[in-house]
Amino acid sequence: MINLAARDIAHGVGRYVATGFGLGLLIGVTLTMTGVYRGMVDDAQVLLRATGADVWVVQQHTLGPFAEPSSLHDDAYRSIRGLPGVVDTGNVAYLTMQVSHGGRPVRVMIAGYEPGRPGEPGYLTAGRPITRSHYEAIADEQTGFAIGDRVRIRRNDYTVVGLTRRMVTFGGDPMLFIPLKDAQQVQFLKDNEAIRNERDRLAANPSVNRPGVPGLLETVQDLQTSNRSVNAVLVRVAPGWDPQAVAENVKRWKHLQAFSAADMQELLVGTVISRAAKQIGLFLLILAFVSGAIVAFIVYTMTMAKLKEIAVLKLIGTRNRTIAGMILQEALGLGVIGFVVGKIAATLWGPVFPRYVLLLNEDTARAFVITLVVCVVASVIGIRAALRVDPGEAIGG
Amino acid sequence: MASTALAAVPQTDAPAIQVEDLSKRFGSGPTAVDALRAANMTVYPGEVVGLIGPSGSGKTTLLKCLGAVIEPTAGRITLGGELVYDGAWRMRDLRELRRDRIGFIFQAPYLIPFLDATDNVALLPMLAGQPNPAARARAGEILEALDVAHRGHARVSELSGGEQQRVSIARALANKPPIILADEPTAPLDSVRALTVVRILNRLAREYRTAIIVVTHDEKIIPTFRRIYHIRDGRTVEEAGEGRPIE
Amino acid sequence: MVRLPNVRWKRALWIAAGVAVLAAAGGLAFWRGPLAPVVVTVTKISQASLEPQVFGIGTVEARRAYSVGPTQAARVLKVLVDHGDRVKAGQLLAELDPVDLRDRLTSAELGMSRAEESVRVVEAQVREAQSRNQIAVANAARYRDLAQKNFVSTEAAEGRQNEANVTQAGLEAAQAAVQAAQHDVARSARERDAVSKQLANLRLLSPVDGIVVSRSVEPGTTVVAGQAVVRLIDPASLWVQARIDQARASGLALGQPAEIVLRSRQSSPIPGRVARIELESDAVTEERIVAVAFAEPMKEISVGELAEVTIRLPKLPETLTVPTAAVKQVDDRLGVWQRNGGAASFRPIKVGIQTLDGRTQVFDGLAAGDEVIVHSTAQLAEGTPVRVRR
Repeated sequence: MINLAARDIAHGVGRYVATGFGLGLLIGVTLTMTGVYRGMVDDAQVLLRATGADVWVVQQHTLGPFAEPSSLHDDAYRSIRGLPGVVDTGNVAYLTMQVSHGGRPVRVMIAGYEPGRPGEPGYLTAGRPITRSHYEAIADEQTGFAIGDRVRIRRNDYTVVGLTRRMVTFGGDPMLFIPLKDAQQVQFLKDNEAIRNERDRLAANPSVNRPGVPGLLETVQDLQTSNRSVNAVLVRVAPGWDPQAVAENVKRWKHLQAFSAADMQELLVGTVISRAAKQIGLFLLILAFVSGAIVAFIVYTMTMAKLKEIAVLKLIGTRNRTIAGMILQEALGLGVIGFVVGKIAATLWGPVFPRYVLLLNEDTARAFVITLVVCVVASVIGIRAALRVDPGEAIGG
Repeated sequence: MASTALAAVPQTDAPAIQVEDLSKRFGSGPTAVDALRAANMTVYPGEVVGLIGPSGSGKTTLLKCLGAVIEPTAGRITLGGELVYDGAWRMRDLRELRRDRIGFIFQAPYLIPFLDATDNVALLPMLAGQPNPAARARAGEILEALDVAHRGHARVSELSGGEQQRVSIARALANKPPIILADEPTAPLDSVRALTVVRILNRLAREYRTAIIVVTHDEKIIPTFRRIYHIRDGRTVEEAGEGRPIE
Repeated sequence: MVRLPNVRWKRALWIAAGVAVLAAAGGLAFWRGPLAPVVVTVTKISQASLEPQVFGIGTVEARRAYSVGPTQAARVLKVLVDHGDRVKAGQLLAELDPVDLRDRLTSAELGMSRAEESVRVVEAQVREAQSRNQIAVANAARYRDLAQKNFVSTEAAEGRQNEANVTQAGLEAAQAAVQAAQHDVARSARERDAVSKQLANLRLLSPVDGIVVSRSVEPGTTVVAGQAVVRLIDPASLWVQARIDQARASGLALGQPAEIVLRSRQSSPIPGRVARIELESDAVTEERIVAVAFAEPMKEISVGELAEVTIRLPKLPETLTVPTAAVKQVDDRLGVWQRNGGAASFRPIKVGIQTLDGRTQVFDGLAAGDEVIVHSTAQLAEGTPVRVRR
């Protein structure tokens, strides 16, 4: 017995493949959306992993430093450093802002860290780590910066000495790593107008500007323009120690909030990403419906175009199930072609996407199964129409 | 083709088709329509019989009943000595019946467009379970017999009207059915082609002892039938035909 | 479309096409997807002579800076110099209003004159007392003589003696008065000196040769003790007070050469040398404060300007070095990643100093010619498949 589906497809192969191709683009979009979600979760994982922190210590009663603002004194690390199980600590400061590169503004997250301590980017794709205490930077490739470029952050120019990859925030902003002291200054320092304004206000305040106490005004002005805060302290835990236990210790004795890296990830995925995840989930559902509807429509149309042939086939003795099988196979064929095209398309255009698209094999397999199921369900309408055809229509028609 | 006088067919064998008091009512109550009222028909192997009637006379319904496409209301149908219907279908698988025992020739060729000529014909033996090479070989034989074997690999869209007609006839024959039901096979054709079709049918009837019923109102071919059934308002009347030889 | 005579060929073609497409999809999944090995770059380590440097930022300050002002509250009369003027040691910079000081000086001088005159008066009194005393003493001696010879009564002799005693006392008193008057003179002289010193204090003189950096007060303003009227610096004493991270401050020594990059002249570094390393560090910012002097005095003076200094430490002898980018910390150990077959494997090493251009000294754990992974496109873990970038 010849395969009727194969013959029918071969008869109009151009149109069939073109339809499959169109469906494939739709499936590609679906896969990409799933990849975007996975990418976001992976962004969180990569960032947390690459900073080398086993425990994140933030301001008490906050979910910082990403989900909420958090501010700690920059010498808080000293008491944490001495806790059992702590190998190393590192102060970090984070600030999202626009910096200037070659005259154009680029939105980045500035990450201040102490070289050699937790908070340093875990790997470089080019260049070297920061060696000077000021005015050097490591940029994520997504910023578009190259080694040797000068970037202007507030008042100072920084030289890019190293590049890294996949260091992006959950909003998709690439990170720019600079020495902590510079970041503290950037975080705090206002522009010159504001500074002059503050100085004038102080100078006009007689309780501060006392002639009999020379130096008082300058001291207070200095206090105003210095920043002794950081957003978090990252802690590296000794091998064999449970990060959760160390975090509990910090919480109990140091009046600070502490999250293990696993908690931090759950926090981010749960709160920061959850809304985006819902949006993507809804979108995927809609796409699945649309894809199913399209397949159903196409299969139904193909069937309706063949009604006479189906009547003849039935009349000359073709089994119902052979006819149903033909329609089903054609629907599945569309699904397979669509899926392959979609997978190739998603893999090819994934890197071009502004967000990281992560296509996991399990998602691909799941999508394949769902595609086939959708095709089977969508073919039901066509099959029903085919089965309802009266073979007698061939006679006396 | 040389004219052939049609030899009389001996009516000694059991009839290939036997229809007795066949009735068919569509619908029920006051709006019911009796398409067939106790119609009778007998066709012997090797005969080519005409079934003539105006539109709405029930000839299509009778054909459909014989083709086991619709279920009659009452009566008997016996095919090749085997009881097919007597108030209810007596055969398990009507589809098998259609596939193996009945060949259909339609008003239009109705070939499957996505199969080539050979496969259109070979489809029936394949449906009957024959392996593909054997089925195709059989198709080739019939196409050869009908003089269209050289077009065996052509797509349906590439065949001329006459070639398509011949291929469709070949399809009807593919499983060597003892019965062929032809529904207005010459309606779209000119007189030359129409007579060619009748010639082919007669040859087949003679060579293979196939019983052929031809539903028609084509004046060009009616004179060729030896026996004719007239059907009007669901009733049949047998009549001797002219039996004119085909030029 | 070309029709192939044999259906089998067509089928074969379709199958081939299908396989090709599936292969493409599979290939893409392998090379680009999460299964793909991490792309890395490697380098072979070698001996090199390292030139360690220390970097810090700071501001230009004057080592010797002076705030010149009065030691008491006064009103400013004149300011004779202005911003940017070069002054010599001892030059008059400003004058403050003496108010009543001059009168007090005159009063003190008059007081002194009067005291001197009192001395003369008292000295005359002494002379007078002296002569009286002389007479009385002579008389007393004579009467004693006479009493001995019984020419006069004993009472008369004692009377004369008594007179002599009285005049003696008078003389001593007059002498004491002279002393007192002399002390008075001295006291008045000191008072006069004091007032004139106070007057001198209202003349602000430059303590050194230098440049005025600020004229803080204008004539007519009242200033308090200790408030600066004029501030100057010694321009030859300008240096950069740089802050160096404590972690990187080892190896610093006086006299080491350095380069100073001023913010206003970022493309032309200026030579300098380490002039002082503060004994006290800044414990809050964890920085050492190092003063780097200019090799030659600055032509343009800009105190307070930001500057970056790079101090060159002595060159180290040849030692194994590795790019700093290759040194990673895993758990509590420092080490490098290497290729083991096609997978990454961590090797702990001991490191020494790290230079500003990104090379780290290796003490232990690697040999010359060993290959290490420098850059990677993803975080490495033990066993991660890696592939070297072409």
